[in-house]
Amino acid sequence: MNIIKWSRPDPLNSLTHIQREMSDLLGILSSAPQVEGYVSVEFPPIIVSKNKDNVFVRAEIPGINISDLDVQVVDDVLTIRGERKPVVAAAKITYLRRERNYGTFARSIMLPEKVDVEKVTASYKNGVLMVRLPKAAEAKPKQVIIKKA
Amino acid sequence: METKEHPSVGKKKITPDKCVVTGKGDWYFPLSDIYETTDNFTILIDMPGVTAENVTIDMRDNELVINGEVSQEAYTDEEVIHNEYNIGHYHRHFAISDVINRDKIEAKMADGVLSLILPKAEHIKPRKIEVRAE
Repeated sequence: MNIIKWSRPDPLNSLTHIQREMSDLLGILSSAPQVEGYVSVEFPPIIVSKNKDNVFVRAEIPGINISDLDVQVVDDVLTIRGERKPVVAAAKITYLRRERNYGTFARSIMLPEKVDVEKVTASYKNGVLMVRLPKAAEAKPKQVIIKKA
Repeated sequence: METKEHPSVGKKKITPDKCVVTGKGDWYFPLSDIYETTDNFTILIDMPGVTAENVTIDMRDNELVINGEVSQEAYTDEEVIHNEYNIGHYHRHFAISDVINRDKIEAKMADGVLSLILPKAEHIKPRKIEVRAE
C-alpha cells in the first residue's frame, strides 16, 4: 500500500481565494450600467421655476396634438395628462429603429406657491409645453403699515 | 407595438470623449425612429425646443448630419425650483447608402419633431416584369 503524503493546505491560501472572489464580485457590481449622462425620469420631464409674479412649469413633450393634451389646476396641484399617438400610416410600414415612446401619460405636481387658478395660461411651442401660473394675491408679500398708537 | 403607460424618456449627453464638441452649451443625442415604406424611408427625430430655422441638415460623403440648436434666452429672471431635464443642442448623424435618392431628401419640422423623408432610388424599387404570351 502506498502512502500518499497529505499536506495541510496553507490557511492563508483559502483567504486569498476569498479575497479574489470578493474583488470579482465588487468588480461586477461596480460595472453596472452607468447612470451618468442619462436622466431617466417620468414622462414628461418638467422644469418648475418662478419669478416675482408667476410660477412657470415647462415640459418637453415633442410631437403631440394640442387636442391630446389636458392641463388642469385644482387648488395648488397641476395635472398634465395626454397621449402621444403612434404614426398612422396609410400603407404598411416597417420599423427599422424605434427609440421614441408612445402612450398615455399623466403627471400631477404640487405647486410651490398658491396660484390664481382663473389666470393660468398654457402654450405649446416647438414641442415644449409652458404653463404660466400667476401667483395668488395672498402669496405675494404684503407691506404691513405700522400705525402710530 | 403596444402603447405603454408613462413612456420613459432619457436624454443622453454627448460627451467630448466620443466626438469633438464645439460651440457653446451642451449637446444631446435625440431619440429617433426610422421606418420604411415601399417608396421611402422616414426618420423621425425628437428635438423639443428647436425651431425650423435652427435645424441644419448636411449631407457629407455618406453621412446625413443633423444639428438642432435651442435658444436659451429664457430663465433670465426666473429661479429654477425643480429641474428634470437639461436644455441643450441636438446632434445626430446617420450613414446613408446608395439606395437613397439623395437629391430628393425632404425635411419638415413640426412641434419639436423633425421628419426626414428619404426616397428610395429608382433602381432598387421592385419592378414588375410583364410576361408576354407568344
